Amino acid sequence: MGYLRGFAVTFRQIFQRPVTTPYLIGKGPKAPKPERLHGRHVLNRYEDGMEKCIGCELCAGVCPARCIYVRGADNPPTDPVSPGERYGYVYEINYLRCIHCDLCVEACPTEAITETKLFEFSFTSRADAIYTKDELLVDEAGMPKHLPWEDWRPGEEEFTSGWVRATAPAGDASYEGRVGWSGELGFGVRAPEGDQESRDASGSAGRAS
Amino acid sequence: MADETSTQVTGELTITLNGTQVDARKGELLIAAAERHGVYIPHFCYHPRMRPVGMCRMCIVEVDTGRGPTLQPSCMLECAEGMVVDTESDVTSKAQDGILEFLLINHPLDCPVCDKGGECPLQDQTMAYGPGESRFVESKRHHEKPIPISDLVLLDRERCILCDRCTRFAKEVAGDPLIHFINRGNHTEVNTFPDEPFASYFSGNTVQICPVGALTATPYRFKARPWDLEQVESTCQTCSVGCRVAVQSSRNEVLRYVGVDSDPVNWGWLCDKGRFAFESVNGDERLGEPLVRTGGELRPARWSEAIASAAEVLQSTLTAHGPEAIGVIGGARLTNEAAYAWAKLAKGVLGTDNVDAQLGDGLPAEVVLGLPSATIDEVCAPGGTVIVLGPDTKEELPVLFLRLRHAVLNDGVRLIEIAPTATGLSAIATASLIHHPGETAEVARALVGQPGLGTDAGGVNSAALEVARAAIAAGGPVRVVLGRASVAESVSWTVEAASILSSIPDTSFLMALRRGNVRGAIDLGLSPGLLPGRVTLDGGRANLSGLWPTVPATPGMDTTAMLTAAAEGHLRTLVLVGADPLADFPDRDLARRALAGVETIIATDTYLTGSSSLAGVVLPAAGFAEVSGTTTNLEGRVSVLSQRVTPPGTARSDWAIASDLARALGVDLGFASVEDILTEISSAAPSHAGLADALASSSDTDGVVVPLSGPTPADALLSFTVPTSDALLPRHSYSLRLVVGRKLYDEGTAVHHSPAMTNLPVGGALRLNRYDFDRLGVAEGDLVRVIAPALTIEAPVVVDPAVPRGSAGAWFNQDGLCAADLIDITAPLTVLQVESLNGQGAGS
Repeated sequence: MGYLRGFAVTFRQIFQRPVTTPYLIGKGPKAPKPERLHGRHVLNRYEDGMEKCIGCELCAGVCPARCIYVRGADNPPTDPVSPGERYGYVYEINYLRCIHCDLCVEACPTEAITETKLFEFSFTSRADAIYTKDELLVDEAGMPKHLPWEDWRPGEEEFTSGWVRATAPAGDASYEGRVGWSGELGFGVRAPEGDQESRDASGSAGRAS
Repeated sequence: MADETSTQVTGELTITLNGTQVDARKGELLIAAAERHGVYIPHFCYHPRMRPVGMCRMCIVEVDTGRGPTLQPSCMLECAEGMVVDTESDVTSKAQDGILEFLLINHPLDCPVCDKGGECPLQDQTMAYGPGESRFVESKRHHEKPIPISDLVLLDRERCILCDRCTRFAKEVAGDPLIHFINRGNHTEVNTFPDEPFASYFSGNTVQICPVGALTATPYRFKARPWDLEQVESTCQTCSVGCRVAVQSSRNEVLRYVGVDSDPVNWGWLCDKGRFAFESVNGDERLGEPLVRTGGELRPARWSEAIASAAEVLQSTLTAHGPEAIGVIGGARLTNEAAYAWAKLAKGVLGTDNVDAQLGDGLPAEVVLGLPSATIDEVCAPGGTVIVLGPDTKEELPVLFLRLRHAVLNDGVRLIEIAPTATGLSAIATASLIHHPGETAEVARALVGQPGLGTDAGGVNSAALEVARAAIAAGGPVRVVLGRASVAESVSWTVEAASILSSIPDTSFLMALRRGNVRGAIDLGLSPGLLPGRVTLDGGRANLSGLWPTVPATPGMDTTAMLTAAAEGHLRTLVLVGADPLADFPDRDLARRALAGVETIIATDTYLTGSSSLAGVVLPAAGFAEVSGTTTNLEGRVSVLSQRVTPPGTARSDWAIASDLARALGVDLGFASVEDILTEISSAAPSHAGLADALASSSDTDGVVVPLSGPTPADALLSFTVPTSDALLPRHSYSLRLVVGRKLYDEGTAVHHSPAMTNLPVGGALRLNRYDFDRLGVAEGDLVRVIAPALTIEAPVVVDPAVPRGSAGAWFNQDGLCAADLIDITAPLTVLQVESLNGQGAGS
């Protein structure tokens, strides 16, 4: 009859308050996110609306989780998708695999892929977990597309683009504060973060406005 | 790897390489000697299979030859006794750094979109030896981004670093100097002549050897990046040369073949058909499920139904008409293992000897196995004489052409060509004996006859014969490349000529049969009258007694005889193992009547072809890169084939299909894997004894030549009857003798299902000498009336200086004019009359 003791544990727990709590839905403002939070990706556009992605697959090559699938194709000469010869014809990220390490963003030679601070998304099917190029690409206003299973509030989508890259070019401190990225649709050329010293002095996050 | 093109490498000497004493050979280039000893010297223009030019200056190293250390290009410097070399000194590093900075001044930062990015020597060496940053801030040189220089190759002049590799290859190796440097100084660029594409059969090699992304291949453009690709080494089966290739795939799709340097075979080169035929592996129309004819139409079926249906047909034919009523055609596409399995099924289980892997366009198997054989290396060995009595190697066996060309131009090999039309080798041949079709044997007789005979033979003048006789008399071994120059004439003249030539002392033969694994199929018994291991039915019966349920009693029919019997209603069931007689048999009318005359056709194929679409049961087969096993090239060299991707749908390997059919007939073939079959081949086939062990211990790249015990003793060669030539054929001034050869690009499966190559077939036309053409009074490309013995058709006519007077050329398997329509296989030679549509005859 020893198994009854096991059942007793279960029985006792039924009357305890659950440890898990529902996410902040409907319970006021969300908690502030850390400055360097890595959320889901977006594919950016240049200010003229051209896609930045050239389908070079460096992101897929560097991805430690092997969650990115890219295929390039020839840009149609009359209606090019991106500047140059090649554009990203297929672009998929599998968020069941992605570990948000940001290496893809580091590898990208055109700042086409960047991570947003949007991380509140939960899906009920594997197909939804694989974000296609359509879903990743920013819209005509340069804003991420709001997918039905994502929870984000107005304003959160603004923190995307190349400027959130953590390191300066080649990791060289002397590049701090200099613009090392191209402008993008909807935002233009964003100003860089303040340098480390001024941020430390002010004690604030020093986020670009 | 030793430099093959430099001066003779002999003698030993000692040099000091980075402080270590190492040996080098006299005449060896410093860069090659260093690489042999594990010291890599960066380079771009140097290629071990081509003459060094010292263009890129990347390989400069500090060398002290007794007068103090100086910087010298190691690709232009032969090793000398006591030379002191430092490849890692500060001076060397600074020089390398500087050269790279220069090279990068005009090189665009295209790497992310460049097909070479990730496997680019310039990228790699910049990372390893180059400056971290450029001081060059001015704008770079600009050219129009990739311009197509042929259907298959794109040129991006911005990326070019002027290393001279592609241009050297085109001129020296391929002999198609269609790309070259133009302009001077800072404006130097590689380009084609205006309006003249880089239409070389070997253009893909320039893409492979380009050290930057200046030359890229259209079929691979933007398909993948190098880090996507997984690869295995395999052997190309597009023709029978058996070039080693690396098969590269991504996401279960073959995306590229890259040539692998196999010293005895292809030296790293591939022809464009072989290189770009990978597209046909992925074709949308590949057969992925069995088809069974129900209610007059082919419908998809399950494997069990299809196998049962095929077995039922075979069983009922066996019961009602005996094994002689079954014929099996094909097998040259298979692996050796599949060929053995099919031989065992056909001969050992069904008991029929009507089995032939060739389609009436090859040589009798007894002749292939009855003459002493030579390897490609033996044919190309310096100092010998090569007689090419067969097809245009440039069109049918392109990489063999490259080897022969190199042997003639660099190694002093004397080449005698005996052919009915001029070929790709004519320009470099010591003697090019262009003879009347059907008079090959006359030429051979005159060649071995007494010098100074002073008479013409077979349309070849005595002076040319004299030159050829002198070449043979100059000593050294004589190697004959033997094949069918024209399928419009009987094979008997070729056999007779070969037999005459074999009387020259120290003569051996390389069989220029063209289909992928035709040698393996013949070796493993897919030929009438033969059993696995190059033995006759009687010679091999005892050996197979425990392994095979039965062995046919008497020799069966070859393809021509089978199709004739089928047309007459004597053959009830025809099994096509990857064969398409309607496209490949020389006499299409006979093929058509034969396929209509049999009760049921059972076909295994990768694509639904003209012939297999007439079948009652079609079984989808796994093709190249989808099966593993071994293959045999034209020398008899067995090398390993590797699987890289899975076959489409439920397509299965041919040996498994044979095994399943046998099981449905109540017999277990006795193997469950390719390895099982190889083991059985090693014990069942005398010529292949010990093959499994030999392959395991040999280098994959070189394979092994069977039989393993050195040259075949003369008594082990099969005997064959030499046809005695009839009286000379009558010649009429109003008729033209037909010569049918092949072009590299035809309407076959590999080209037809590879989108990049579909525009490349030249199309069919009747080709005439200027003299005969002018007598017709028509313009180039006009339609003329062609009167063949069996039919009269209209076809375009063009001038071709390669065709001699009195002959008419037609290419096999081309759109427009199909040579197979003109040929009557029962006639020893097809003779045509040609008339202008406005009433003028060629001879009138």
